[in-house]
Amino acid sequence: MRANPEVLILEDDAETLDELQTHFTRKRFHPLGARSASRALSLLENNRYSSRPVLAIIDWDLGKAPDRSASSGDVLSRLARELRECPVIVYSQNIDAFNVRSQIQRSHPRALLHDKRDGDASLLERIDRMLDRTVGDLRIHDGTVVVHLPSLDQHHHREAIRLVVHHPDIVTFHSDTATKAVRRFGEWLHSHNSAVRLVSHGNRKYRLSVTASEGAAQPCDKA
Amino acid sequence: MGVTDAPWMLGVRAPDRGRAILVVTVDGELAVAVHDAVPGGMAIIRDARSEDADEITAACLPWPWMVIGSAVSLTPALASVLCHRPVLTFWLGDVPAGLPGHARCFDRPAALLDAVRGACAAQVGEMRLAPGSGVELDDGTLMRGAMLESLVAAYPHGFALPAQNFRAVSNALTRSHAGWCVQRDETGCVRLVSSQVGAGR
Repeated sequence: MRANPEVLILEDDAETLDELQTHFTRKRFHPLGARSASRALSLLENNRYSSRPVLAIIDWDLGKAPDRSASSGDVLSRLARELRECPVIVYSQNIDAFNVRSQIQRSHPRALLHDKRDGDASLLERIDRMLDRTVGDLRIHDGTVVVHLPSLDQHHHREAIRLVVHHPDIVTFHSDTATKAVRRFGEWLHSHNSAVRLVSHGNRKYRLSVTASEGAAQPCDKA
Repeated sequence: MGVTDAPWMLGVRAPDRGRAILVVTVDGELAVAVHDAVPGGMAIIRDARSEDADEITAACLPWPWMVIGSAVSLTPALASVLCHRPVLTFWLGDVPAGLPGHARCFDRPAALLDAVRGACAAQVGEMRLAPGSGVELDDGTLMRGAMLESLVAAYPHGFALPAQNFRAVSNALTRSHAGWCVQRDETGCVRLVSSQVGAGR
């Protein structure tokens, strides 16, 4: 049995939250949805030892949140400190304003930014681009497996998915168990003669590198 | 809005060993521009103000790869790091007291951003910056070490620092047969030179 990777969603609008949760469920992720920052912080705290989301989607403006005891900045700061390996997309109506961008990037320096005025469809499209990624001869399928395209063999560990989603960025893994899984993924790549190889940067930091002559990786997703 | 009431908890203050560009300004506008100029995955941009620059400097492990500043004075911890470590230092506008001799100063943001892009894309022989940290060779070998990253990015310039600070990186270059060595130039800066040129001196 496989556990579907979690996605944290903080969105104060109930209808939009429902739409995002449905989208992720359809893609076989397990959505952790919250309409307020305090609820999102509780979800992170309660799932601290059992799960670590592979993606977080954060609405910066929480004017409709039922509880305003915490802010989206608090959630971003927690993610930056405790879940550094989790990619984060932050969206806002005012994403063009440099002071908003500065506030977001001070809360989470690695956050990817998205313009809410482009609509929900644009956000979903961007998320899909991140989660259905092809890196060299690897592809994420259904959010739960990494497929080696030439052989169609599958690797199921969530840390492998995390590395592919993050490419070309370095991922810092949080535990010995996670780093063992990553090394096994590296051996799996080697045994399949994959165009992608695992690069260790020490201190539990790893990234994927695509051999130049082999399949080209997608450009890095950057706001 | 999403601003936190706990500025000491900001993610920008979290310690990290990745390559860091520390941008110290009054309002963060230049940090946003730097964020847009730096290729994805190359470095983390740490947007600081004078009041938290010392804490954020300390969170860049082992030290910031690059410091960019504008319209602020140097804080004590930042001044100390800039004077003792090989940190690429780019400054926009009026220059504060205490900047090291190797600092590069710019009148226009566009020129500064070009220099930032140039540092990220630096290539010295077979050596170039790997995404996130380290220096990558053409054969995929990863050489780790903040000193080497600084020397590669600064090339053909160098650092006005004592040569003995670079002994470890000099040994690493010799061991790896990279074809480059560390040498003091005629301006008094320590920089990378081709081993052939270095041997001829």
